[in-house]
Parts: sequence; C-alpha cells; structure tokens
Amino acid sequence: MSSLDQRRAGFQRYKARVKKDGKPFYPFAMFHDTVMSLVVVCVIIGLAVIWRYGISGNHILGSLIGAPADPGTRNFVPRPDWYFYFLFYLLRIFKWPESVILATIGIPTLCLVLLLILPFVDTRTERRLSRRPVAIVAAALVIVSMGVLTYKGATAQEAIASEVKAAIPSWAKKQGFQNNQEALKGANLFAESGCTNCHTYLGTGSSNLGAPDLSAEGAKGKGIQFQIDHLTCPSCVNPGSPMPPFKALGPDNLKALATFLEASKGSK
Amino acid sequence: MEERPGDDRPQLPPPSLWPVGFAVGVVCLLVGLVVSWWVAAAGAALALIFGFLWVRDVVSGRERATGPSSDEPATDGAPAIPEHEAERFPRSKFLEGATLGLGALIGALVTLPVVAAALVPGFVKQKSKPVNLGPLANFKEGQYYVATFERNQKEGYISRMSAFIRNNGSTNGKPSFTCISNRCVHLGCPVQAGGPVFDKESKTVKSGSGEVDLTPALPAAGFICPCHGGAYDQEGNRIAGPPVRALNRFEFAIVEDHLVLGDMYSVAKVDGSGASAKIHKYDLAGPGQHVDGPEQLLYPLQPPH
Amino acid sequence: MAVTSTKKRGKLEGAAMYPLDWLEERSGLVGGIKYFLFRKVPGDTSWWHTLGSATLTAFLVQLVTGVILAMYYKPDVNSAHESVQHITHDVWGGWLVRGMHRWGASVFIILLFMHMGRVFLFGAYKYPRELNWIVGVLILATALFEGLTGYLLPFDQTAYWATVVAININGTAPFVGPYLATILRGGAEIGPDTLARFYSIHMLLVPGALIGLIGLHLYLVVRLGVTSPPWSKDAADRPPDPEPSAPPRSGLVQPAPRAAGVRRRPSE
Repeated sequence: MSSLDQRRAGFQRYKARVKKDGKPFYPFAMFHDTVMSLVVVCVIIGLAVIWRYGISGNHILGSLIGAPADPGTRNFVPRPDWYFYFLFYLLRIFKWPESVILATIGIPTLCLVLLLILPFVDTRTERRLSRRPVAIVAAALVIVSMGVLTYKGATAQEAIASEVKAAIPSWAKKQGFQNNQEALKGANLFAESGCTNCHTYLGTGSSNLGAPDLSAEGAKGKGIQFQIDHLTCPSCVNPGSPMPPFKALGPDNLKALATFLEASKGSK
Repeated sequence: MEERPGDDRPQLPPPSLWPVGFAVGVVCLLVGLVVSWWVAAAGAALALIFGFLWVRDVVSGRERATGPSSDEPATDGAPAIPEHEAERFPRSKFLEGATLGLGALIGALVTLPVVAAALVPGFVKQKSKPVNLGPLANFKEGQYYVATFERNQKEGYISRMSAFIRNNGSTNGKPSFTCISNRCVHLGCPVQAGGPVFDKESKTVKSGSGEVDLTPALPAAGFICPCHGGAYDQEGNRIAGPPVRALNRFEFAIVEDHLVLGDMYSVAKVDGSGASAKIHKYDLAGPGQHVDGPEQLLYPLQPPH
Repeated sequence: MAVTSTKKRGKLEGAAMYPLDWLEERSGLVGGIKYFLFRKVPGDTSWWHTLGSATLTAFLVQLVTGVILAMYYKPDVNSAHESVQHITHDVWGGWLVRGMHRWGASVFIILLFMHMGRVFLFGAYKYPRELNWIVGVLILATALFEGLTGYLLPFDQTAYWATVVAININGTAPFVGPYLATILRGGAEIGPDTLARFYSIHMLLVPGALIGLIGLHLYLVVRLGVTSPPWSKDAADRPPDPEPSAPPRSGLVQPAPRAAGVRRRPSE
C-alpha cells in the first residue's frame, strides 16, 4: 500500500509532467469531447425518430404510450424500465420469503457502500491494468452479471393467462390441433388456469414441485378419461402429488382440457 | 499627527440621526394636510423638534471641530472601546452569537413548517371509508367474484382496486364472506385469478359507493402474481414464491342487505377454508413486511393506514 | 498583448477586445473561462476521456427537453395521461421533444455507467480524486432516483405499477421502510398527491441537486486535473525510471565502449 507521502509525491510528479508535456484542453481534448457529444445528440434524436416512426413500419422501440393507469386492473403484467431489469430479475431469483429483504435492500445497499468506500479500500498508486488483477476481475464480474441479469429480466415470462395465451397459435401449429375446437378451448383453459406455474409446455412455463413437461402428454396413450380423473383429483390418481384439484372447473371445461392434453403429441 | 482642520477647508457636519426625525415630521405634515389636521399638527411638532436638534448638532459640532482637539487617540479605524469596558461588553462575541442564533431561528422558521407540510400529510387522515359492493343477491354462493371498486369516491379513479369476493353461505344465521385483496404482499403487484375469468358475464352495479364491476371467476389454481412468481391458494395462503404472508383481507358487514367492505387487515395464514376458516389476523402491514415470525421485529411500528 | 504592426490594427483589436476587458475588469469571468479552456491536460488523453462530457451533454439534453415538456404536461392524475398523448400527437414537435427526453434518459444512464467503468479501470478514483469519485457515486444514485420519479409521469399502466413496486421495495427497509414508503407516496396508498409529489421531486428537487453535484464534480476535475490513461508512462506505482545515458551493447560484435581516459593495455 502506498503511503500518503508517496501518493502526494506522485501527484506532484503528475502536475510537473502535465506542465511540461501537457497540451491545452482547448482545442485538443475539447475537440474529442465535442465530437462525442455530437454523436450522443444524434443518437438521442435518432432513437426519438425511430420510436415515433418505426423502421419500415416496425415499431421496434415499443409503443408511444400504454393504456391509462388502472389501479384496479385484473390482467396487467408490470415491468420496470429496462435499466432496472437486473434488479427485477434479482427479485425473482430470491424466491424465499425470508430472503426478500436481501434482494430489495441488502444487495443494492451493499453495492452502493462498496462503491463509496472504493477509494479508501484501494490506496495503491498503481494504475496499470496489468498490475491490478482484483480490479479487472471485479469489473468483469460486475459487467457480466449485470448483463446476464438484465437479459434474463428482459426475457422473464409469467405463467399467467395473458402471457401464455399469446403462445397458443404457435402451439396449435406445432401440435397440429388448430382445427380441433375442443382442444383450442382446452388450450385456453390451460393458459388461464395457471398450469404453466409448475408445468412446462413447448418452452413456455416453469418447472416447479416436480411437475412434468406436458408437450408430449398425448403421446403417452393415457386417454381422455384418465386426464379428466387426474384433473378432478390428482392425489387420488397419483398419491403424494402436490397438484391441486381442478374439479371446480366443471365437467365441460375438464373435458376440453383433457382433449387438449391428449392432442399434445409432442412437436413435429 | 492629525492635521487640525483650518478655516479655509469646508467643514462637514458630524453624522447625526436627527434629519431622519425631521424628514418623518415633514412627511407627516404634508400627509396630514390631506388626511387629518391632527396628523399635520403632529408632523409639524416632530419637524420642529428634530429640526431644532439637528441645527443644534450641526452648530455645536462645528464649534467642537475648531475648538481644542479632543483627547481621542490615533486609531486605525477600529471603534475605540474604553479598555475597562471591554470585559463587561464583549461586543463582537455577542454579535457573532446573535447572528448565528438569529440565522438558525430564521432557518428553522422557514424550513420546519415547509418540511412538515411535505412529510406530515401522508400520516394523517388515512382512514378509509367503507365501500358498498351492492346487494347480496349478486353474490352466488360458493362462486368467486372479482369486484373492482373505488375505495375513496372523492379521489375517484385513482383509488380503484380489485378484490376477490366469495359468498360462503351462512353459518348459524351469520353470513360469511371471503374478501381477499388483489394486491400481492410481496411488492404490491395486481394478483390475478388462477383460472378462467368470465368477462362476458361481468356486470356493473351502482351502489352507494359509486360503480362496482362484478365478474365471476374460477380461480382453480388459486391466485397468481404476474411479477416475481408469487402464488397463493384459494384462501390466500402463500404456496410458492417470495410473498411473505397470506393475502390481505377486508372486514365486511351486511348493511341493509348490501355487502359493505370495511378496513383491510393483514393475514399470516388461514387454516381451513370458507365459512369455517380460521384467519390469523394482524394489523395492516405493507407489502414485503412480515407480520409473524422473527422478521416481524424489523417492522415494529406501522404508520397509520 | 501581441505586438501589432500598425497602430490602426492595434486600435481595431483594442475595440474588439473592449467588451471582454470591460467584463473581465468587473467580474473576472473572462479570466476564469480562459483558465478553463487553456489549462493543460496530459498529452495522451484518449477518446475514453470523452465519456464524462458525453454524459454531461445527455444531462443537458434532458434539462432542455424537460423544460419544454413541463410547458404542456399536466401533473394531475385525471389529465396526466391525456396531456402526454396531447404532447405526442397534437403539439408541433412534441413527439420529438418527448422522444428525446425518454430516450435521453436511457442514454444518460448508459453513459453514466460507462463513464464510471472508465474511471474505475483507469484508476482515476485514486489520490487526490477520492472526493470526486464519491461525488460521482452520489450523482449516479441521484440520477437513478430521477429516472424513477420521471417514470411515473406518463401515468400509464407500466408507469403506475412499476412505481407501486419501487415504493414497496423501499417499504421493506427495516424499521424506517413503512415510513419511507408513506413519505414517497404522500399517504397510505398511491393517490392524487403521489403524482404531484413525484413531479415536484423530478422537476425541482432532484435537478437542483444534480446541477449542484455536477458543478462540484466539474470543479474538482478542473482543480485536480485529468488523469492520463493507464498505458501512460506515469501509471506505474513508482517514479518513472531515469532515461539510460547510452544504449547498452553486448561487446560481442563490436568492442564494448571504453570509458574515457582508460589506457589500452600494452598487449592488445
């Protein structure tokens, strides 16, 4: 660790060197600054134009404004601004109730504190990157983890009706039941009833509590009646199953669901 | 050595406050001529008195200047404080203290009421009024309804919220309702029913609390939060994800055959279901705040809700 | 003053310089600006050093576009959304100003992080620039809070629910959390006061703080000087090695240089 005197001496050497070899800020460094600032302004204007008009009609930057705020909404999926995606995904990683406060307060506060005390932790005068392994590793870790968390936050999907239903047309195509009205009705019920909370299906949903993937459920030859019986009381058919009963859907809905499951032979 | 002022140099009168009084007197006199004779008389008196004092000062000052020199020692501009008085009146110390003290007082007078106006209103008058959800007949027994209503008619649209209401029938003549709030207790996102919601059968009821939308639903998989993976069962108990307790519930009352929602309260968990459910009630806590277990020590005192 | 060839030219220059001299004599401003423009910076400053002024440019874009938006925006819960639509579709050039403000915010945050990363990797937070680093971290936290308050203002579904979650995240802080959440909201629930409160914070409180912090940041940069890149000669942890007087030679091919005054041995 360099002592304060060494650091002061280093700064004096810096000042002497700048006095001897330095160039005036204007125009040498300021020229670079001006060019970069022009780039920034052009990027901002460009983004605003693309947001408004899209690229050949494709509004790749999203819509200009969403529906008015409805505090009593029943079907909206909240998401933060993109630069908070990493924090959003962090909140999803910490699924255990006892750990919530770690994700909301603990980690952000820790990061802020680490940033603030950095100059007091690292008092070496060494600035060559080849001699600063801790700095390089820390920077790489931060950049990679923020990038991964942001990406995962951006692509996070929810097992609720509105998001899952969007995938139904592609399911119908892949499984070949687009003309089967009963199966389509069942697919909608499948999306609405939160099944993808625990089951995965053709890449949608998440796997929880040991629930199997249902993409090829129909290929197992269990038959519609089995599916209806299982849905009515899963633990009766499969002792120890944590799956809740769906008897309350009623016989018509159960039949539609069963038809959908039996039509799912696995993507062609 | 000071130079004695000679007769050929112009004599400046010494500084004096009497002209101020004289000016005030003249103004009063002139104004009084228009307004009232008494004011004019007072003004004339003031002008005469202060005028006399002023003239006397100027005349005597000139005499003093040309007379024998005073015993003032040569100074460098600092006020001459007789030495024996320096300890009794430490003037600069008093001025310092007074400046800082008055400054602090002014600062407090300006900032404290302003800051209080910014911070205090959030903590007062927060009690919510009961909400009338309409006639009991609209709630078929055993069926969940998603009710959307305005909690505060005065605030209007901004106070909208949704709740899951189920008529549990009557036990011993007492009607029982399950009234679950749709705000997730992880971080407040709007929880959705885990099952089909029959929008086509939705109806709007006009009650004493404005318009209420009632939509039947079948939350077979309970209630699911779209944000961070929280899931609850049909009684609002947490079954998966980061929510820290069960969903909040509303007190309810039957008033003139109408269902009325009262205060919201927090629930640690619910044993059983329907009319015979045992609800572990707590005072209303914010999302993400534990009400039982060791973590409740982190949130000892809740602001008024 | 430069020597002029003719008296007439000197008079012309004098006339041109007169306003500047008048200003300088009465305020010292011209001297200050000259000092800022012509101060010496290390000769090897690179394009990486432009990120700081690029961030400043993005901030200035936000300031200017924000002022224009404030002329048309209505911070009332019942008319906010409508006023934003009005700006986007009806006000001439409104879509451009709004787009620049919305995307300028993202660009500002990105440049902030890039600038912070550059300063970290260049070791420019070390003595004597520790205070400047701390001020920079405060700017980062303040800018993120500015983004948070601004996000609510369009008052559409995304804005409303992202703000609900953000306030509740603050609410999970131990002991003070519930009070912090109530203060942010201006009540127990998000109400009409919340939007006006966020507007006041976003328009007045935080920009004031940011301008102050950025001013302090720039003052410290000018006072302490710009650091040279880590590949510069003075980036090492010690005084630079003294230049060798003559290049060393092995003596195998050519005779080794002999010190002056040494006599050759009689045998050679």
